[in-house]
Amino acid sequence: MDKVQKTNEFDVIIIGGGITGAGTARDCAMRGLKVLLIERHDIASGASGRNHGLLHSGARYAVKDSESATECIKENMILRRIARNCVEETEGLFITLPEDAETGFGLDYQAKFIEACKAAGISAEAMDPKAAIAWEPSVNPTLIGAVKVPDGSVDPFRLCSANVLDAVLHGAKVLTYTEVTSFVKEGNTIKGVNVVDTKSGQNATYYAPVTVNAAGIWGHGIAALAGVNVGMYPAKGTLLVFGHRVNNVVINRCRKSADGDILVPGDTVCVIGTTSTKVPFEECDNMYATREEVELMLREGAKLAPSLLTTRILRAYSGVRPLVAADDDPTGRSISRGIVLLDHATRDGLDGFVTITGGKLMTYRLMAEWATDLVCKKLSVAQKCTTDVTPLVGSEAKSYAEVASKVWKGATLAQKAAAGRHGDMSVKIPFVSEEDKTLVCECENVTLGEIKYAVEHLGVKSLGDLRRRTRVGMGTCQGTYCIYKAAAALAKALGDESLAPALQKEYLDERWKGMRPVGWGDTLREMEFMQKVYKAGKPFSFKD
Amino acid sequence: MKFDVVVIGGGKAGAKVAASMLEQGKKVAVVSSGLSINNVSLKDIEEKGAVVFAGDTVTGGSFEGSKLVNVSTQKLREVSLEAKAFVLATGGFFSRGLYADMEKVYERALGLDVEFAADREQWFDADFSAPQPFLDFGVKVDQDGRAFKGGVVLENVYAAGEVLSGVNSVCEDAEQRIAESVEKVVNSLK
Repeated sequence: MDKVQKTNEFDVIIIGGGITGAGTARDCAMRGLKVLLIERHDIASGASGRNHGLLHSGARYAVKDSESATECIKENMILRRIARNCVEETEGLFITLPEDAETGFGLDYQAKFIEACKAAGISAEAMDPKAAIAWEPSVNPTLIGAVKVPDGSVDPFRLCSANVLDAVLHGAKVLTYTEVTSFVKEGNTIKGVNVVDTKSGQNATYYAPVTVNAAGIWGHGIAALAGVNVGMYPAKGTLLVFGHRVNNVVINRCRKSADGDILVPGDTVCVIGTTSTKVPFEECDNMYATREEVELMLREGAKLAPSLLTTRILRAYSGVRPLVAADDDPTGRSISRGIVLLDHATRDGLDGFVTITGGKLMTYRLMAEWATDLVCKKLSVAQKCTTDVTPLVGSEAKSYAEVASKVWKGATLAQKAAAGRHGDMSVKIPFVSEEDKTLVCECENVTLGEIKYAVEHLGVKSLGDLRRRTRVGMGTCQGTYCIYKAAAALAKALGDESLAPALQKEYLDERWKGMRPVGWGDTLREMEFMQKVYKAGKPFSFKD
Repeated sequence: MKFDVVVIGGGKAGAKVAASMLEQGKKVAVVSSGLSINNVSLKDIEEKGAVVFAGDTVTGGSFEGSKLVNVSTQKLREVSLEAKAFVLATGGFFSRGLYADMEKVYERALGLDVEFAADREQWFDADFSAPQPFLDFGVKVDQDGRAFKGGVVLENVYAAGEVLSGVNSVCEDAEQRIAESVEKVVNSLK
């Protein structure tokens, strides 16, 4: 790849800024390719940011699908090393309840489960119910069995952001808010993409010998634009976030996978999920949690940890898994949750186009490796994958404390929080002036300096983008106490203070969407308070 | 303890009703769950002669037919507050005057009848900036400001302020609506 290239020419174009596209961009860039990553909205704005944030041990798949289970545990161990800044090593429990025994998932099944886990290389250790309660006091006390597995939690926003940032540091170009409108096709070869900047409306064309479709469920539409068919099955999943972290270890049900059987602690909250229902493609852009889904999550969640019923629900959200129907089964009955890599040259006679889909957040790195191997083969590049041993940017140090103490003497709470979010990169966050040190989000300890850093280095254009990079407004107040300040700060950092009201409105509408399906009890109280704060007051300015 | 009027709620509406009653020379008690936010107004009416139970919450009342005889509070335990008339001014959801579960909206202190949309889908507008229907949910009153319980109008229980149906502090004419509800109750109690 030594030849001089024009600015609109790349070795590979990757469509989709979810975790798969981000991972593929990083892998391609690390192997020396000139990479362009295109994302229609923001990074991790689809299913990559709308899941449990579970670092699967693979135990869930052990009995039914040992291949997925083996993939999971391998990637689990890799992510603990390369993405330690995004991972929390909580461990996990698979519990058996009295009602499970009545449906054929009693202690006999538990024995089978442990055996299957071990066969897949997953450590699984039966625990006495009393010991399990002592270890995780929030667990349903009526449990009759428990198994300890190496589950954990992973911050999907941070993981995606770190992959994108690492790709950029290796020379990749990233365009967010850029949508592919059509392909540049010559005969049976994809030569490039025509795109539109969704903010400015400007059109552009980019060329590359290979284009990778990594657009998740939207990959169905991207494939259609390229003139090929990828039979996808949009499976919606709804989850609820609670205002406290009621559990410290992941709690799963030890039975056949079903709705609402995983409770994951993450940062200061916990998440119960999920449902799985097929939805029409037209609805994928506007996912909302229904009342039935919310009630189901609460009912099932309470069986894992009864105190969920008395914990304030922050919000509900839904994502769409890009499940893929097998090529010979267009009805979608034979669904694989495994990785699907399609070389459209051999499959459809369309050169220069590759689809990577299916899979899971957990196996994104392996998906990226497969896709990049194929891209390299097409480009006759011999570089081997090193993403399994190279830590992501921000994850080089052993712990947040180590990062914080390396960067700052006597780190403040805000500095420790920033180090937790940005790892080694936090050295770039200004903590000099009083303004830089001013706290904007008190729930998550986000400073004005961190907002400036996010705009400058992390491609932030909206408050939603800022939330995905810094957790601003993600805490217990859901932005009530900070979004008016964050809107003013972001508008200023973007260089146009008049943007603040529109930024604020966009954010509040989005939070409101998540709160409406759970609008009763303490959540409704919070909603009235939010209305009071934002409707009774005047627009905020730091000058006041 | 016997009073002419017991005002439940020491916020803006409750304090105003209490002040007017004191001006008319009535013996007034105010039960306010708040300790500090409205301390100024509460101090003011305390100086004018009201008995103020600050940091306390009404937990229920005894009815005789369509008449409320007394109310009990969390802290007074066996002692109840008797009065000729009672005024409920406990505020909306935020102030805990109202409470909602997944199905229904309730008035917390006395279980009074509440007006709300039966379908929870109708509680909110998707646009955060638009008027939100749930803010208007609240206690139903007759033209004299008297509340209902079990479909029957209560002779001596009035409601004012944000706890009322159609009154909230977010809408543009909030101040006016709250003031009108206070005035109505004050006039009825003359």
